[in-house]
Amino acid sequence: MTVAPQSETPLLAMRNVTKEYRGVAALKNIDFDLRRGEVHALLGENGAGKSTLVKILSGAVAPTQGELSLEGQRIQIGGPADARRYGIAMVYQETSLVPSLSVAQNLYLGDEKFFNRLRGTYIEAQQLFQSLNFPVDPTAIVQSLGTAKRQMVEIARAVRLAAKIIIFDEPTATLTPEEKHYLFALIDRLRKDQVSIIFISHALEEALEISDRITILRDGAHVVTGDAKTFSRETIVRHMVGRSLSDELYGRAADGRTVRPPGEKILSVQNLSMQNVVRNTSFSIFAGQITGVFGLVGSGRTETAKIIAGVTKRDFFHGGEVRLEGSPVRYRTPRDAVGDGVVYVTEDRKSEGLFETMSVAENIYVGQISSAESRGVMTSMSEMRELAASWTKKINVKTLNSDARVIELSGGNQQKVVIAKALVQKPKLVIFDEPTRGVDVGAIAEIHNLIATLADDGLAVIVISSYLPEILSLSDRILVSRQGRIVEELSPGEATSESVMFAAVY
Amino acid sequence: MNLFNNAVDRWLGRGDASIAMPPMDGAFRPNDLLDSAPAIVETPAPDCLAVTSQGLVVSSQRSLLSVDKPGGAPLAAFDVEISALAGLPDGGAAVGLIDGRIVFVGGEHGGKTIEASPEVRCVTALASAQGGALLVANGSASNGPGAWKRDLMEKNASGSVWRIDPASRAHTQLAGNLAYPYGVLEEAASVVVAESWRSALTRISPGASGRGEPVLENLPAYPSRLSRGADNAIWLALFAPRRQLVEFVLREDRYRRRMIGEVEADYWIAPSLRAGRTPLAPTQQGGVTQFGLLKPWSPSWSYGLVARLDAAYRPNASLHSRANGRRHGVTSCLSLDGRLYFCAKGDGVVASHAYEGLAS
Repeated sequence: MTVAPQSETPLLAMRNVTKEYRGVAALKNIDFDLRRGEVHALLGENGAGKSTLVKILSGAVAPTQGELSLEGQRIQIGGPADARRYGIAMVYQETSLVPSLSVAQNLYLGDEKFFNRLRGTYIEAQQLFQSLNFPVDPTAIVQSLGTAKRQMVEIARAVRLAAKIIIFDEPTATLTPEEKHYLFALIDRLRKDQVSIIFISHALEEALEISDRITILRDGAHVVTGDAKTFSRETIVRHMVGRSLSDELYGRAADGRTVRPPGEKILSVQNLSMQNVVRNTSFSIFAGQITGVFGLVGSGRTETAKIIAGVTKRDFFHGGEVRLEGSPVRYRTPRDAVGDGVVYVTEDRKSEGLFETMSVAENIYVGQISSAESRGVMTSMSEMRELAASWTKKINVKTLNSDARVIELSGGNQQKVVIAKALVQKPKLVIFDEPTRGVDVGAIAEIHNLIATLADDGLAVIVISSYLPEILSLSDRILVSRQGRIVEELSPGEATSESVMFAAVY
Repeated sequence: MNLFNNAVDRWLGRGDASIAMPPMDGAFRPNDLLDSAPAIVETPAPDCLAVTSQGLVVSSQRSLLSVDKPGGAPLAAFDVEISALAGLPDGGAAVGLIDGRIVFVGGEHGGKTIEASPEVRCVTALASAQGGALLVANGSASNGPGAWKRDLMEKNASGSVWRIDPASRAHTQLAGNLAYPYGVLEEAASVVVAESWRSALTRISPGASGRGEPVLENLPAYPSRLSRGADNAIWLALFAPRRQLVEFVLREDRYRRRMIGEVEADYWIAPSLRAGRTPLAPTQQGGVTQFGLLKPWSPSWSYGLVARLDAAYRPNASLHSRANGRRHGVTSCLSLDGRLYFCAKGDGVVASHAYEGLAS
């Protein structure tokens, strides 16, 4: 590992930076320094504030308070264009390229000349790729490229903009070991060229391997910054999860509550595979229990749940087996799954869970229409109103009336509508994916109670969450996902933040 | 249409051609309880446990040994290997031999021998039944108990279950076409059979036509003997793990035929009571140690597993000896006085474990 040269003035400095969303602080009084020519790893759990920090740097959001300085000069980043002007570039995990344009067009997107000569663009792009030793065809359409090559294009774009600071957000999540090796070699070259790099990763080994310094955030606050040499995986994990406040808020699973015993085996997932996202994973789900699934972003939890619920499809060849109550099932659409009593409550309620401009009643009725009890094209306004009245009361959706549009509700109430829409389908198995993401504290407690009631009523419940205290406090059984596979099962009695996190990162 | 579907399934690796293994989680969550159990008797290939008037006895090759006495004192010896054993209500024992004979030791029928018949030549399990009868599991019509690996690789389902009256020596077949019945347990009005090659427990009811009714399917290992404890819990020994590679080989008929014809059985790609002791065996037991446990990437073909089932035959707890354990190939287990006794045939150990408070 090369240790970056020390310099008096940091290239980039953030002082007392706070970012609040509707009064809730996502970042609290953060101080952060980035030295010239260093690779600085930014670590933390999901929700620790890493993304907010880099979004401020890339101009995607503005800080609520605090100041930023570049090379000693105070700056204000008003938007992505400003960030580009200051030499700050971002390489996203899910690349921000336009899939239908060619590689070269993407390279010059937003920076086109008035008279754009395609051939000249291709030649320039080819020269750039050659200088970086990237085997990418500038004329190729981006959607035809694999993930690694798309990332190369992203990196080339950052280099072309003569970025002084490049932010890598989970760059290795979808790379093969060989591709990862090339990426690290490139980062090393950039470091030698005095480019400063912020490296976000959940893979702690990578952070320890590639970075000069490490900063750890937790619950939006700065925990520690230090030389990478002074950290080990154990100390990093301890800094990442040591959150006494959250433990007090949620309690521990083993503390003072009865763990539900398993009922009938409802679901058996056997050697399920989907490309390199879900890799030969196997687990069982039992009735009358909450099975918590914890894993870092990219560990394949959501994808596995979506395959079970018929939202996405497993590999066409040898994709494994899903057995519902002993019988193999393969759903082509979510409706097929709903018909068998399997419902998925999405993590992305805005784009997948709700029709925002429709009313609460209409949204809940949509769930009824797609259930096994649907009468096809026959709908009834009175049935819709009755259903909405009953469910808004049952799960305490705070709305003026059931005709209120969903977009007017708070995050917590929107989430309750998504849940009502799922429960109206009378499921046997409910999969909650990040059920309390973007939900206020009061609604979190209500949603947790609702989930517990479902399990008490004998339903099989899966809760996927990136928030450890939630998993620990809700689950009767904890499954840990890593690199597309369930790697560990823990009982609430033996599960601690550390043991779950270790299983997730080792 | 069926042929077409089969061809498509085979090509896509779906349906019957899927080589997906049931997960070892929930009640089958791995632990080291079999390895932590203190050994009572160390003897070559202990196979079957039974309670008789002599106390707890175990069969080991040609001998019956006392488990209660230190060192496993011999109680009886036979001219060929023992393949099954059952304690009888009168304190005697029924001993199944590898050549198909059933010999009674002690009790009302002591000294009596029921000769092998063309129908019953592979005695894999015995159990006493109502009215003084004996339930006999006949593993295979074409292979003996020592050739179980061959029976699996030939994909046979030629086993049967019989009720034999020791007094009259009358044989009554209860069920046929079973995939290696290796355990048998009488219920009030039916018989439950462990079908090894179907990885399932099947209930056979008198008078029911055709196949039995499955009571527990899709087990992660091959089941063998069953026993009922005083608390009505049912204990099931599972003698070898199911593995994807073995299931794949079972699908590949030409490969399998050549393997059976040209390779010694010890080196087949097949489950085993104890694997990983010879460098000549095909690759297995490679892996990494995580949290101090070996997590095999090329899983071993032997394993130690005992499951506790509730009265409805739902698994609620299990004891394991993992890939790096020393209690593999458990072929028999029974509970007595709050302890679970088991024989790990692969590793030559009879051991016991207190089962109070066993995690469910």
